[in-house]
Amino acid sequence: MEVYLVLCFICMLPIPAKSITTVDCKPAINESLAAKITINTVILQQPRCCFDNLTNLPCTSNTCEIWLVPAVDTGLSTFDANKASSAILSLSPYPTAFTGSSPANYFLTKVGLQSDFPCVSPSPGGYFRVGADGACSTTNCNGFLPQGSSPSFKYLLVDSVNKTVLAETKWSDSIALYTLKDPGTLGDGFAGRSGAMVVITTLLSVAAAVLLLFLIVVLALCCCGGKSKGSGSVVGSVMGSFRIPRYDTHHLKDPAPYDNPAYEKERKYTTQDTLPKTKATSAVNPVTQDTIKLQKI
Amino acid sequence: MASRGGLTWLMIIVILCNAFAAAAGLALFALAIWVAVDGYKLYPISGVSGKDDIFAGAWIAIFTGFAYFCTCIFGIYAARKQRRSLMLSYLIIMFIIFIFECASCITAATNRDYLVGNSNVVKKQMLQYYAEDSTKGREITKTWNKVMQDVECCGTDSPLDWVEYNSTFRQLYGTTYPWPLNCCKRLSSFEVADSQGCIIGQTSTMFTRGCFTHIESVLSRYTWAVSWYGFSVQMFVFFMLLIAMVYFTQLG
Repeated sequence: MEVYLVLCFICMLPIPAKSITTVDCKPAINESLAAKITINTVILQQPRCCFDNLTNLPCTSNTCEIWLVPAVDTGLSTFDANKASSAILSLSPYPTAFTGSSPANYFLTKVGLQSDFPCVSPSPGGYFRVGADGACSTTNCNGFLPQGSSPSFKYLLVDSVNKTVLAETKWSDSIALYTLKDPGTLGDGFAGRSGAMVVITTLLSVAAAVLLLFLIVVLALCCCGGKSKGSGSVVGSVMGSFRIPRYDTHHLKDPAPYDNPAYEKERKYTTQDTLPKTKATSAVNPVTQDTIKLQKI
Repeated sequence: MASRGGLTWLMIIVILCNAFAAAAGLALFALAIWVAVDGYKLYPISGVSGKDDIFAGAWIAIFTGFAYFCTCIFGIYAARKQRRSLMLSYLIIMFIIFIFECASCITAATNRDYLVGNSNVVKKQMLQYYAEDSTKGREITKTWNKVMQDVECCGTDSPLDWVEYNSTFRQLYGTTYPWPLNCCKRLSSFEVADSQGCIIGQTSTMFTRGCFTHIESVLSRYTWAVSWYGFSVQMFVFFMLLIAMVYFTQLG
């Protein structure tokens, strides 16, 4: 009898709940998309081939659902502690998941049926966008993630009938969301001088200065130096007392009296052209240059 | 008087140089008109920032180019007449035009450095004014839409500019669209080819490179036209004026 009671007692020991299988899958970002990370959304790869090797499931692939858990900071440990609960799906509704004094920091949202994600995808480019519903208010909606946080993700296989978690993947690496930067922080001041600008500025400035200098020098030389072009001052200063208005040059073959142009203005004497043309006016016989013959006029 | 043969040669050199400078001045005039017309329609990017002296330099170059042309023809006449008064007025007028053209070259190069030295000015302008409902905003929006569609680019350095920074566009449309739909590829009927794919950023449905390289290359092209070509004309005119000054001293 006692043995029977002990046996019954042993049989009455709490049977451990069916444990949640952890499959060797890790959610990852879909790297090929440009908007894979924004300030409040993340685009993940679909959970293909993650839960297909499990056996002894109470649901079929048409009734097993795949859910996603985004969790931030303490949310990872909070979820892991609560995941065996039968009310896990509504334990942390989205609207209050990240607000309040001690938020749960995780929420659950449905991705789809397991049959929607066969191992071999019929069309490439599958993705799941976390935060696609925006600022929503239902319990399990796919709402925005907290701005600038670093969430981690986990896919779950959920039995649609009892709403319990059957299997889960590993936690993904934490994915840092962008924090919105203010464009005023872009420094639009001094962007540096290009070499071209320095060359052009220096060479042109130097050229302009040199030109100005030479222009002033030329003006000073020519206009101030030769201001009074008066009567014979140039000649007078050079020649000293050479004031002969008209003289003969002895080296020429056919000598004609040379009219000194410095005396042009005060010509009171006759020039070669106005003198009467007689032989008496030629003073030197070109044939006998060295002997001066006086002729009778 | 002193070596008439030498003076004649100098006169011929001055006349030839003036003819060449007249042609160069006319080319500067034409090139500056091309810059001022702004065929790439990028003026609002410099106009809105207040630093539009690339185009101001082009306008100055239009006038100085034509003035060089006219004055050099006058210079040919003055050299031929061999009169000091004419040559002096020629030298003074050329010097004044030289100063203005220097200003044009220097200011065009400096403003180009400010605008496209790095991408910050253009990026900040895009984030602030795109989709804004003001005069400046409308001009910038129109310019950027045209650039994004024609050059097939998105954002300044990349589409992530729209994602990383706050902007007027994000305030207005950020919940639905991470970037403007002009970033998306379009069919020949101008409809967006795949707007859902564009929103999530599928590289086959949108443009992924930045627009800054195009903007920078166009503004640089304008600047080098005005400032480098102007600089080369200036160097030629500089040496020609030195020769003309020597000629001037030999006259009379």
